[in-house]
Amino acid sequence: MNAVRFSALRAWLIAGNTLREASRQRFFQFLLLLALALTLGARWLRDFNFGAPELKFLADCGFGAMAFLGAALTIAATAQLFFSEVENRTALTLLAKPVWRAEFVLGKLLGVAALSAVFCALLTGLLSLTLAWREAELSRLLPDAVAPGGGVSHAMVALGGLMQWLRLLVLAAFTLLVATFAQSQLFSVVTGFLILVVCHLQHLAQDAYARAGSAAGLIASSLISSVFPDFQVFQLADSLAAADLPATGDVLRVIVYALSYAAAAAGLAVVSFRRREI
Amino acid sequence: MGAPGPEGAAGVPPAIEIRGLVKDFAVGLRGLRLRAVDHVSLTVRPGEVFGLLGPNGSGKSTTIKLLLGLLEPTAGGCAIFGVPSGRVEARRDVGYLPEAPNFYRFLTGRELVTFYGRLCGLAGSGLRSKLEEVVALVGLAGAADRRVGTYSKGMLQRIGLAQALVHDPRLLILDEPTAGVDPVGSAEMAELILALKARGKTVLITSHLLGQIEELCDRVAILDRGGLVAEGEVAELAGATGRLSFETEVLPPEEIAALRAWLESRGRRLEAVAPARRRLEEVFRTHVGRGPRDTEGGR
Repeated sequence: MNAVRFSALRAWLIAGNTLREASRQRFFQFLLLLALALTLGARWLRDFNFGAPELKFLADCGFGAMAFLGAALTIAATAQLFFSEVENRTALTLLAKPVWRAEFVLGKLLGVAALSAVFCALLTGLLSLTLAWREAELSRLLPDAVAPGGGVSHAMVALGGLMQWLRLLVLAAFTLLVATFAQSQLFSVVTGFLILVVCHLQHLAQDAYARAGSAAGLIASSLISSVFPDFQVFQLADSLAAADLPATGDVLRVIVYALSYAAAAAGLAVVSFRRREI
Repeated sequence: MGAPGPEGAAGVPPAIEIRGLVKDFAVGLRGLRLRAVDHVSLTVRPGEVFGLLGPNGSGKSTTIKLLLGLLEPTAGGCAIFGVPSGRVEARRDVGYLPEAPNFYRFLTGRELVTFYGRLCGLAGSGLRSKLEEVVALVGLAGAADRRVGTYSKGMLQRIGLAQALVHDPRLLILDEPTAGVDPVGSAEMAELILALKARGKTVLITSHLLGQIEELCDRVAILDRGGLVAEGEVAELAGATGRLSFETEVLPPEEIAALRAWLESRGRRLEAVAPARRRLEEVFRTHVGRGPRDTEGGR
């Protein structure tokens, strides 16, 4: 009898269905609209710029919306789209077909990754347009304020969007890993946010332990940093100037870093889900 | 006992073979174990309609999930056409309709069946023709472009049957296919099952409608508290009682008395005389049977 091999096509089919389901949910539509509104509306918030140059402030607002609302979207979507399959028992019908559980798990991850890619692409596009528009306006009003060649680098904005998406991909993979063994959606969401905090703050903890000279603290923080990715790594596009564009090698290193963590978490999720009783 | 062997007694693999199947669930934090399936062994032959009966909580659905590899057995094993259930290959020849099925509400009936068909490896014109065939077979051709979220319970069961049939499996597992469905829908489902049997499909069905099971099934097994308590041919289990009943037009009392006297003169006894009544289900179906059902209103 012919073996049923792992099929990327089946995983894509499940991913497509997951994306379709997510795109019809009001909560996710609301988060997208809110993020778009924040990016577009940052112009009218520039009085709160805390001394940062205006274009940098606009970019920070856009990337801030992408980071915060993107994390909320990714964690909620991963947990919700996974548990809806289990709780609505659509997973029963799906897994009763000749489908590997690995295809199901990867399909869910790819679906959420596609959702966050659409989210980041839309916001990055809008941010780029907003920056170009304001830059043109400023050049007209204050010709001396914008030095020739010193304006906004849209390649840098695009790189910022890519970094945000890679961060969300890793977050989705870790949240999915939790969802494969968790018994409730709420637990997965809360744990997803805890993971987000750990990944963001671990470098601060390491610095603090290093300054304090605590060996136990250093060991603990080293353990945490080897298990959880450091989200500071994704801060490659901290400036808008083309001159600050990082080297291709550095960008590739971050991409490999993100994909390695996402692949490791997805692999563990597959192992965990293999024995889950549906 | 381990997984069943690849072949039945006649050298042809049975459609389903379950041997010494046990399933325990851990309950609570103290690790107490609840036995849901208790040493069940049974065989379903290719081409037969087999009924799995039992009260709620008797282990029917758990047995089906074990059979589909959705749960891992604590002990024993099962196989589908000789392939152990835990393997993905075993599910290639199975169509499954779960109890109270729930599908992706945002897809239309046609998109849903296409999705499952593609998961089973169908594509192109083969998929399109199979899609039209199964949608027509279950009587949903007119509603196939409506969102599944607008379907009634009966329509959900039928689109569920369509997705189970789309890859032309040899074995169909139908878990309570008529639960929550009105008598007309239920009768139509029974007709569909008989039509599938005529096409050579093997059907494993669970239902609480024992009358329907009796009409449809060749053999049945009865589960209670996880254990198999009876198994055999329907005719054998629900067959002759050694008694006889007559049905005739209404007789006047003096003719009934004469009949009683005639029987008594031969040492027999007339035990019951009662007017024959129409079954309520018959009355319902006479009044409510309404032609093509795919125009049925949604929820």
